[in-house]
Amino acid sequence: MTHPTHKAFKHPEVQLANMGYVVAYVVSMVLMGLSLILVKDHMLSSMRLAEAILLSAAVVVIVQGVFLLHMNLSHTQIWHTFALVLFIPLFVLAIGLTAWMFHGLYKRTMIVPIMKAMPAVQGSMAPVIAPKR
Amino acid sequence: MSTSASKAVDIKTDTLWCPTGHSHDGIATKTLGFWLYMLSDAMIFTTLFAAYMVLSHAFNAAGGPTITDVAHPVYAYGETALIFSSVLSYGFAMMALKRGSRKGVIVGISIALLLGIAFLCADGHETALLFSQGADPERSGFLSAFFSLVFYHGLHVVVGVFWMLVMIVQVASMGFTDKVVYRLLNLRLFWHFQAVIWVFMYTFLYLRGLIA
Repeated sequence: MTHPTHKAFKHPEVQLANMGYVVAYVVSMVLMGLSLILVKDHMLSSMRLAEAILLSAAVVVIVQGVFLLHMNLSHTQIWHTFALVLFIPLFVLAIGLTAWMFHGLYKRTMIVPIMKAMPAVQGSMAPVIAPKR
Repeated sequence: MSTSASKAVDIKTDTLWCPTGHSHDGIATKTLGFWLYMLSDAMIFTTLFAAYMVLSHAFNAAGGPTITDVAHPVYAYGETALIFSSVLSYGFAMMALKRGSRKGVIVGISIALLLGIAFLCADGHETALLFSQGADPERSGFLSAFFSLVFYHGLHVVVGVFWMLVMIVQVASMGFTDKVVYRLLNLRLFWHFQAVIWVFMYTFLYLRGLIA
């Protein structure tokens, strides 16, 4: 229901807007730029690089969540925050279960393509696979 | 309600609804509903990222272009700047709304709109270039997953751009009525959410792929 108050811009959700948007912008640009420099110049080992850009992305997402999407426990926003928190297990499950399924699938079905990619292994693997068929 | 807790309810005589009508906070109800919709949309992104994750192995490229051939992180950082600046500009429009400044809102959204269009041009140019090099979605499972994410994200920007266009017209013609204000708030949720999605796009598509 909408009531013609003509003072809708006084609504608490409108009043949430603040200079935090600038903070989110600066942090996002700097950290994404840092990730780019790290990856472009291969400044760390592959494993450390992957961890570094993941950490950087996590910080940016949290900063954007707080300053752009106003995720907090205030009376106005608590249900927005709560809904997001309840969705996090769903994100983790969707990604995790897919990874788990395909990890098993690839182990069982992708033997031939992997051997084609690595011809040196083919000779030694062939007798191992043959009896199973 | 007209019935006390101790007395049984007689549906023939008792009034079971509030005759004067509830005074819901219409704006808060609508933004929460829209936020839940955005989270459902995030679930679609999650499934697309999950598909991309399992299809990004080298053998899914089917001998065709791999991530190092299709992802250009320096160019994509330009796209990052465009989308984040657009989000910031919409943020300034929201600060103008807080002051009740019609002009401030229209200027803020207009700049956000132009930056959104610039992003689409950059994205479109990159995609056209890849297509011309034979890297199209039908080439391999990897490229299908890659372009699904790129196109799904691009579609959001297209929707956002049209929505901003509509809101500029509505703010100019109707002013800050309840309806216009809740639409501006929902568009803020929608547009600012694209910044969060882009962080994942940039990290997992454009940067992650270049780490051997």
